[in-house]
Amino acid sequence: MTNEQMITTIKEAVLDYNLDAAVDATKTAIEKDMPPMDIIENALVPSIREIGDKFGRMEAYLPELVLAADIMTACTAMLIPLLPKEGRESKASVIVAAVQGDIHDIGKNIVVSMLIASGFNVIDMGVNVKTSVLVEKAIESKAKIICASALMSSTMGSQKDLIDFLTALGERDTHVVLIGGGPTSKEWADNIGADNWGPDAVSAVRLVEEHSGVRGD
Amino acid sequence: MVQILDVMKKALEGKPMSEVDWQRKLFAPTIRRLVKEHGIKFDPDNPIHNDDSLADDVFEAGFELLLETGVFCTDTSRIISYTEQEIKKALRNAPDKLRVGEGRDRKEFVPRKIEDKTPPWCLLGAAGAACSSDKSFLTLVEGYAEIPETNAITTPAITVAGGMRIRPASPLELYGTIRNAVLAREACNRAGRQGIPIMNSLATAESGISLSAALNPKYGMRSSDGYMIGCLDPMRVDFDRLNKVVLALSLGAPIGMDFAPLLGGYSSGPEGTAVSDVAHHLMGILTYQTSYSIPFPLHLQYISNSSREMLWVISAAGQAISKNTHLLSLSLNYTSAGPCTTMCLSETSASVISAVASGLSIESVGVASNKEEDRTTPVEPRVSAEIAHAVAGMKRTNANDLVKELLAKYESKLSSPPLGKTLYECWDPENRKPSREFQGVIRGFKKEIGDLGLTVGLERLL
Repeated sequence: MTNEQMITTIKEAVLDYNLDAAVDATKTAIEKDMPPMDIIENALVPSIREIGDKFGRMEAYLPELVLAADIMTACTAMLIPLLPKEGRESKASVIVAAVQGDIHDIGKNIVVSMLIASGFNVIDMGVNVKTSVLVEKAIESKAKIICASALMSSTMGSQKDLIDFLTALGERDTHVVLIGGGPTSKEWADNIGADNWGPDAVSAVRLVEEHSGVRGD
Repeated sequence: MVQILDVMKKALEGKPMSEVDWQRKLFAPTIRRLVKEHGIKFDPDNPIHNDDSLADDVFEAGFELLLETGVFCTDTSRIISYTEQEIKKALRNAPDKLRVGEGRDRKEFVPRKIEDKTPPWCLLGAAGAACSSDKSFLTLVEGYAEIPETNAITTPAITVAGGMRIRPASPLELYGTIRNAVLAREACNRAGRQGIPIMNSLATAESGISLSAALNPKYGMRSSDGYMIGCLDPMRVDFDRLNKVVLALSLGAPIGMDFAPLLGGYSSGPEGTAVSDVAHHLMGILTYQTSYSIPFPLHLQYISNSSREMLWVISAAGQAISKNTHLLSLSLNYTSAGPCTTMCLSETSASVISAVASGLSIESVGVASNKEEDRTTPVEPRVSAEIAHAVAGMKRTNANDLVKELLAKYESKLSSPPLGKTLYECWDPENRKPSREFQGVIRGFKKEIGDLGLTVGLERLL
């Protein structure tokens, strides 16, 4: 089997959302000494990107995104140890949470899946995350980026709390804070001093990609 | 019959499972399989379908979904399961009429059938839209109470108390909720409709403790109002929501469950979203002990339900429910565009037509995705109500033609809709009328909809 054929097999498995087939095809490619970075860049990334595009066109839905994220996690777990040391770092660590008081998880889950599928090291803290706990985790994990969602006007204030906590602890400049969620806006982000605002999951990933190169871990 | 203590027992003793597994490994694959097994297909050419067997298929799939997945309790991480007999008995025993309100505003809310001539129950207002001041709250609710077709009010939610932004389950939320109750009653009094029921009681109360605080009789809430409790999509519940159920039951008041199956979420496409919508109706009468349901399926990207797929979801789930049950169901619609735009009026019309022709009543309307503070006016629900009354009894095929004409006017703009104007930019609170500019928009819309064969008066607005 040529490298091209192996790449095609992996891509087909990913686009078919078939975790077992994707893992088997990746194993085969590794056994055939295909360079791990080639597998990531030429098979996994383009097919994951295609799924993201399909989601953007509403031709794929949240369950597919979740499966794509699972596939990316399983395959990269096999590939990353094989990379040269300097290539082993994932893109950046990103903390994702629905802020204190907010229990809405679907938008957050979409962002989590898309970020994992895009190769970021994601720490999903869930919903209704106490501001102090979120900040402690950000500091402890040295996460470069914090994505904080609020779906209710009554929980937007917790996004401001997050900025206030980071500032009070002298940690504001070491973390990029991105916010999102139904009632939020760019104006609100500017108002509370967040680094940026995304109206949806696709833009959240774009913003994380943009900002992940701005400040160091 | 399943009662609230039975629900608690099930929540405490049901099958344990992680929330992630329930959503990913049980709910999502089950819904996909049921859609396939029942051969349910979205037809973009017929956003309001005319197929009775499809209505039955969607109903059966929704019934089976609840039976197979149950409801997930996030506080106990257990599945609240129901047997086939329990679901059927709950359907038989669900209220087939509801008398709400007081005095001359006390009316009977009855179920409707597909193409029914019975005027839809019109729950009109802001559907919990964010409202930043007492003044705008009063202006809006007074405007809603003045609409002749208003059977019940759906108030905005207050976002600021004591000059501070409200935080969940905090004293600020309690004060905001009390204010929500007092101001809603005061606004109805000002409009001379003291007895009108508030059927989204209480929008500001995210938490049970806030609802509890506002139920002190001196704040004016009544057992003849309707108490609305939100469902976590998909088909999940927590103790705080069950606390609200107990509170409303203790008042002897009717409960409405609002739920928003997301097209693009765990329900996947339009077919799964319609099936999920039906299953939520059924879970409501059991888990939330509901007397009425408030479905508001939403498009994940547009955060509205006026797109072609969403009109189909409203129609498919609506026909399934109205053909196979006597449940009281109010279709809540969200527009993408904002006030003072023709697009917003066309969107709300299309969603309302789909609901009414399919046998539902209406709650209208969440304007501009219901996410912008003070970006709603009394005009949009007024238009919805007149359209709803005008199309009662309309054949599905005619309604389908009508919404296709409306879709042609706004469909291409859904991804970047005009947000229009805020309340006081286009509504004169002193004269209780839209601004001159908005009146021009309304006149234009009235002509457009008239050209499509629908006559609406919209008196007092012009």
